[in-house]
Amino acid sequence: MKKLIALLALCSAFSTAWATETKLEKIQVDTSVAAVERGIDTLMGNCHNCHTLKYVKYRNLLALGIKKDKVDAWRGDQPLDAPLTGLLPDTAAMQSFGKIPPDLSLMASAREGGPSYVYAYLLGYYITPEGMPGNHIFPETKMPDALGISAATDAAQRAEIQSKARDIVSFLAWAADPHQTERQQLGYYVIGYLLVLTLMLYFVKKQIWSRLE
Amino acid sequence: MAKRIIDWIDHRFPLTSFVKHELTGYPTPRNLSYWWNFGFLAGFVLVLQVATGIFLAMHYKADVTLSFDSIQHIMRDVNYGWLLRYMHSTGASAFFLVIYIHMARTLYYGSYRAPRELMWWTGQGLLLLLMATAFMGYLLPWGQMSFWGATVITNLFRATPFIGDQVVVWLRGDYTVGDATLTRFFALHYLFPFLIIGAVLIHLVALHTVRSSNPSGIDLKAKDNIPFHPYFTAKDFYGLGVFLIVYFTFVLFFPGSLIEPANNIPANPMQTPTHIVPEWYFLPFYAILRAVPNMVGGVVAMGLSVMMFAFMPFLDRSRIPGGAHFRPIFRVQFYLFLLDMLVLGYVGYIPPTSESIVIGQIATLCYFGSFFVLPFISKAEERWLIKRGLPPEVQALIASEAEEKSRRTKR
Amino acid sequence: MAENEALGNPKRRDFLIKATAAVGGAGVAAACIPFVASMNPSSDVMARATTEFDLTGMNPGDMRTIPWQGKPVFILRRSPEQIAAMAASGGGHDPQPDSKRAQKPEWLVVVGVCTHMGCVPNKEGPGWTCHCHGSQYDDSGRVVRGPAPKNLEVPPYRFVSSDKIIIGEA
Repeated sequence: MKKLIALLALCSAFSTAWATETKLEKIQVDTSVAAVERGIDTLMGNCHNCHTLKYVKYRNLLALGIKKDKVDAWRGDQPLDAPLTGLLPDTAAMQSFGKIPPDLSLMASAREGGPSYVYAYLLGYYITPEGMPGNHIFPETKMPDALGISAATDAAQRAEIQSKARDIVSFLAWAADPHQTERQQLGYYVIGYLLVLTLMLYFVKKQIWSRLE
Repeated sequence: MAKRIIDWIDHRFPLTSFVKHELTGYPTPRNLSYWWNFGFLAGFVLVLQVATGIFLAMHYKADVTLSFDSIQHIMRDVNYGWLLRYMHSTGASAFFLVIYIHMARTLYYGSYRAPRELMWWTGQGLLLLLMATAFMGYLLPWGQMSFWGATVITNLFRATPFIGDQVVVWLRGDYTVGDATLTRFFALHYLFPFLIIGAVLIHLVALHTVRSSNPSGIDLKAKDNIPFHPYFTAKDFYGLGVFLIVYFTFVLFFPGSLIEPANNIPANPMQTPTHIVPEWYFLPFYAILRAVPNMVGGVVAMGLSVMMFAFMPFLDRSRIPGGAHFRPIFRVQFYLFLLDMLVLGYVGYIPPTSESIVIGQIATLCYFGSFFVLPFISKAEERWLIKRGLPPEVQALIASEAEEKSRRTKR
Repeated sequence: MAENEALGNPKRRDFLIKATAAVGGAGVAAACIPFVASMNPSSDVMARATTEFDLTGMNPGDMRTIPWQGKPVFILRRSPEQIAAMAASGGGHDPQPDSKRAQKPEWLVVVGVCTHMGCVPNKEGPGWTCHCHGSQYDDSGRVVRGPAPKNLEVPPYRFVSSDKIIIGEA
């Protein structure tokens, strides 16, 4: 399992993203706790201002392995069982954007292309010839360029923003499917067990049927 | 000690004789292939769905304000809730896959023919119950696809003559799919599987009356039958092992592959997703529905496409037994039909284009055409095969069946 | 029947079938675990297994009832007279020293559920009276008159600070 995560981390480090193209590039999601934690650090700084994550509770962050003092700093006097509500009230959102920013708890699985979609979307901002903001992936979006990719001037800046986007996607993938690691672990054991059992059942079948002439 | 308990029961209940008659002494053709495993697999998936469903129902809330949240509660907070949910959603697809293969086996080998027509028709009833159960179950997550799928399909009942609009409102309990619809769909979704269990028992009683057909299509001599237990219990368990490997690979590694992304968005009655598509197992029938430009015509065509199978015992007029085994033309027809189903499934899945509409219409015509030409082709094929020369056991069977028929008509 | 014929090596056949049955049985048993476990309290319920309570604003002799895990908990701030009376008495039908029942003599924290049939007793004069069947408890929550068999339960709790307790955590 650790090897798989290391491999994934390696792949994601080497992959480059041509995010301004409308074709979705399939990214490898880094599922390590470190990447997820970097993701929520970025999210609390950037996305939390407008977006809620109503199905993710502060205690889930603790269970993931994030330090208690970090979580306590984020939750303030809200109980541990409270959800990650955004800071923007609905009325203010309607006034500023004409739309309430969607909840992000399931965003990584609520679009065709999953995490790759979110990644491409975050990096899909550009400035139109008229100087207006646009997004290649979701042209009708009311969301501003939160990561600033459309204003990135050099390759280093762009790489940094891409890495931030990758971390956010890691977090959102975890948020949408917090039991993924546990599920895949169970998967290895269950399939392994079933392979052994099916093999034994095969030999039992052969044995019993050998009684026939 | 155990023998004394069993004797005590046997005096009061036909336990030993039942097990002997239906299991350890039940004669089964020895040449059954692995295609005969799928009835048992269907029964197993039924048990799986009922078990996971009951435990899910301990946490699910059937209310439009609560249902989506309750499923997130199951996925995140309930111990192993994610496992129960994924087993149930994958299980629905597994159920249809197993049933479709089971039906294909029956069509290929002609197992719907006399005296097994009632098996085929109870199976038809089971398919309808299963489709209704799956349709109602799909509304319960109250996602975008759940809501709009239910809206589209309940709208179809508008095609009912004279009272169409009232029927739709009566079905929904409201002018649109809403809380009333969700609550009753939950109640019925919980009920129907138990109706299915009852229908399965009837299906099995019919089976034990006419006994299994076999790949050769000709009833084997008594000596060529073997007891169901231990031979076919062993074979069924082995087949179950193979099935479980495939099933759990999906449940534990690719569970999201069978869930539409749009269903991870709570239902929004004000906005339809760009691409409404039913679950894969409904796609061919959905394509047939869309192929007919007239709404009533489309509904009739779709309904007929499911019910057409019931006519197989009458449409297949060939006296040659065993389905495709001895009948090369029937075999070609079968494979072409399968291909047609795949084409229809694809047409049902993609957003309609001018080309796909035409392909869908041609595929629909081929679909119904396969059934309509069957009486003629089956008879012509029979004449051709008799002229070409049949294996002696087939000739003997046809001769004895003809004799049986004339004896009956004389009386 | 074929069972009587010794086809193949009967010992090996028996072992294979027995071993397979054992492995299969183990799988069936393991498969039951998620179903049974899913009926246990979910993680959000477990997260709400503790309740904090601020002790400021309570005078000697005051009692508050607060919910904890869905049950009422009596918080009694005892006056010096009450403390002395409870220290002097050993209890009633279920003797227990008061010192064992209160971490700080001034504060009594007990679950307000009668140990007889589960009704919630009322604070009346010294201690509590349960009006369902007449059981009486003293200011230490000890049963002094039946039919209740045991003293009121003392839940796990601890002082987070001098005027805040958390119930549900030892």
